[in-house]
Amino acid sequence: MLLESRVKEQGSILARLGEVCTDPLGYAREWKARTGGLVVGSFPMNFPSEMAHAAGALPLIIQEAEDPITAGHGLLFPFYCGYTRSTVDQAANGELDVLDAIMFGDHCVQLLGAADAVRMSLKNTRVIFFQLISSMCDPWTLGRAKESFEKLREELEDFLGRKVEDDALRESIRLFNRDRQAMRKLYEMRVAGQISLTATEMQYVVKSAMVMDRREHLELVEALVAGATENSPAPEKRAIRLHLSGHFCQAPKPELLDMIEGCGAVVVGDDLYHGFRYISTDVGENGDPMEALAHWYLDRNTGVPCPTRVQNDVDWDAFLLDAMRKENAEGMIVLMAKFCEPHMYYYPEVKEAFEKAGMPHLLIETEHESMALEHIRTRVESFLELVKRRRGAAPVVTSAAQGEVA
Amino acid sequence: MKKHVMGIDFGSTTAKAVVLDMQGNIVAWSVAHMGAVSDAAVHQAVDDVLAQAGLEQKDIGRCVSTGYGRRMLDIADKNFTEITCHARGAVAMVPEARLVIDIGGQDSKTISVDANGLVAQFAMNDRCAAGTGKFLEVLARAMEIELDEMGDIAMGAKQELKISSMCATFAETEVISLRAEGNSKEDVLGAVHQAIATRTLGLVNRVGKKGPVVMTGGVARNKAAVHYIEKALGMPVILPKTPQIAGALGAALIGLDDYKAELAESGESLDEDHDVDAQMAFDKSCVSGCKGDPVAAAQTAPAATSKLKSMLGNLQKHF
Repeated sequence: MLLESRVKEQGSILARLGEVCTDPLGYAREWKARTGGLVVGSFPMNFPSEMAHAAGALPLIIQEAEDPITAGHGLLFPFYCGYTRSTVDQAANGELDVLDAIMFGDHCVQLLGAADAVRMSLKNTRVIFFQLISSMCDPWTLGRAKESFEKLREELEDFLGRKVEDDALRESIRLFNRDRQAMRKLYEMRVAGQISLTATEMQYVVKSAMVMDRREHLELVEALVAGATENSPAPEKRAIRLHLSGHFCQAPKPELLDMIEGCGAVVVGDDLYHGFRYISTDVGENGDPMEALAHWYLDRNTGVPCPTRVQNDVDWDAFLLDAMRKENAEGMIVLMAKFCEPHMYYYPEVKEAFEKAGMPHLLIETEHESMALEHIRTRVESFLELVKRRRGAAPVVTSAAQGEVA
Repeated sequence: MKKHVMGIDFGSTTAKAVVLDMQGNIVAWSVAHMGAVSDAAVHQAVDDVLAQAGLEQKDIGRCVSTGYGRRMLDIADKNFTEITCHARGAVAMVPEARLVIDIGGQDSKTISVDANGLVAQFAMNDRCAAGTGKFLEVLARAMEIELDEMGDIAMGAKQELKISSMCATFAETEVISLRAEGNSKEDVLGAVHQAIATRTLGLVNRVGKKGPVVMTGGVARNKAAVHYIEKALGMPVILPKTPQIAGALGAALIGLDDYKAELAESGESLDEDHDVDAQMAFDKSCVSGCKGDPVAAAQTAPAATSKLKSMLGNLQKHF
């Protein structure tokens, strides 16, 4: 295929993925009308979407909406994070009516509150609540994780009125693994400079996987991988190579990502949930699929450590520094969603470790309602100027850069 | 080879321009007040500084812009943020500075400067105009006085009042309320400046309280703001003679580095100074021979003497 038509095809794939990300519930409505199937929503992080897929449903991870909070103000206090307030608002406004069931996990205290508020708003929607053990290195962790997933499977079967067969589950696991591998391939190619994907485009690739029919998604991502050859435009070499960290439940706003890269940076890696965190770990394809899912839950925390889980032998900060070395990243921008308690709790450790390692980082707190982009731009540009000027400076400087929100 | 560079600080309320010669000496500077991010102001500042220097735009080897409007200037070859430029300008004006407090029209920043004279850490307000020139402007209006009078009047405060809100709009309500309670203008304005100082102290602690402290930006010309900030910090604040032009000066110095590096790459010699490397090292360090300890650097007379000798030698050759 000629380069021009290949680029055009890649552009149209990314545009399609972007459309799904912009209106995920619109996609669900369209899928439902097309297939007549059921849509099972879930909170982010550790829900095994393979299970709902194996039951013939469309698993959809509920996304933060762009709209300002209106009806949701009557249900959740303003000191809840943007993701929980937006989810409750979408429920209160009837947007989540497209979901036939919702699976809630207890990943943080705010999600628990949001689950209750959604349950109150969606009286006709089946709400399934499941708890996952958060202590990851106890002798009983694997068993307890498996028990939780077994319970979730039973609830799903009860709701759907049919069994989730092991063979179907294995098939779904294989499909999801293949999709994750294709997305990880794009990450590898980006680090190696073999493909030029912006941070927003990478978010489209991953976020759309949380929404779309997986087979449809896989076809598009594999076409992206196949289309990216040595002729793909490489990123600007003089740009500062950045790692993005944080944002667990909600996707960072594309305008923020575009602004960061527009300041002269290129994002080469991340641990965002709408990024590498979501695709880091595959599920075992052999043996008992429930056992494999329980292992996946444990492995995810070593793949990309999560501040909502407790594991004595895993350090998030050490993981970040190691990832940045592999990516040859020169600095990190931490995107912290306002009122995200797990992130707030762990950030001081990350800050200390980065200062000790002499690795520059910048903290940006994000909000659902508004962001003073011009002010943030000044801080990002200053940070990049600092990193760039240190390229040529004597290596006596050990302090890290921190542009805090005042 | 051209013999001058220019720095422009296109700020939110004023525009500043500085012209330097190839040794980094200020040839001319100008400040123009024409309203928010005003094209007219920036043109006035640029025209004025060129006229003072007896130059035209085509005589400028490198032009670097900074400030809110930094990306709006066609004449600028490059742009850098206020944080980078104020840090550079402040250490050029006050070589021993290790902490820069810059309070401008719409934002306030604290910048710690490391041993290389580069930004080590910074913090800035990013949600509202709390603790900025705009905060003072709004409250001057509420008090029905001129902005320039504020500092002098506030210095006459006799009792300590408190303004608890950092939001300019809410603080305006508090100011009106304090006046309605019969408090004097002096005391209320003292509280306004105390509020600025408290906010600044918070920003300083984000980057680490250390000295020597230098203050730049328009608010540095307000003696009450400086007084209350010194009181809050418990440290003296060094004021450059022209704190408003620190950003433009920093931009010009960065432009000078850049221009000299380009000349060195192209093999073109500098008329006034053949020792490009020494000059670059000089410009890049906060003070001659600085090794991270400004006190120690002040004693490294040989480095400064050698530079002076080199410059004198070149001057003699010239004549």
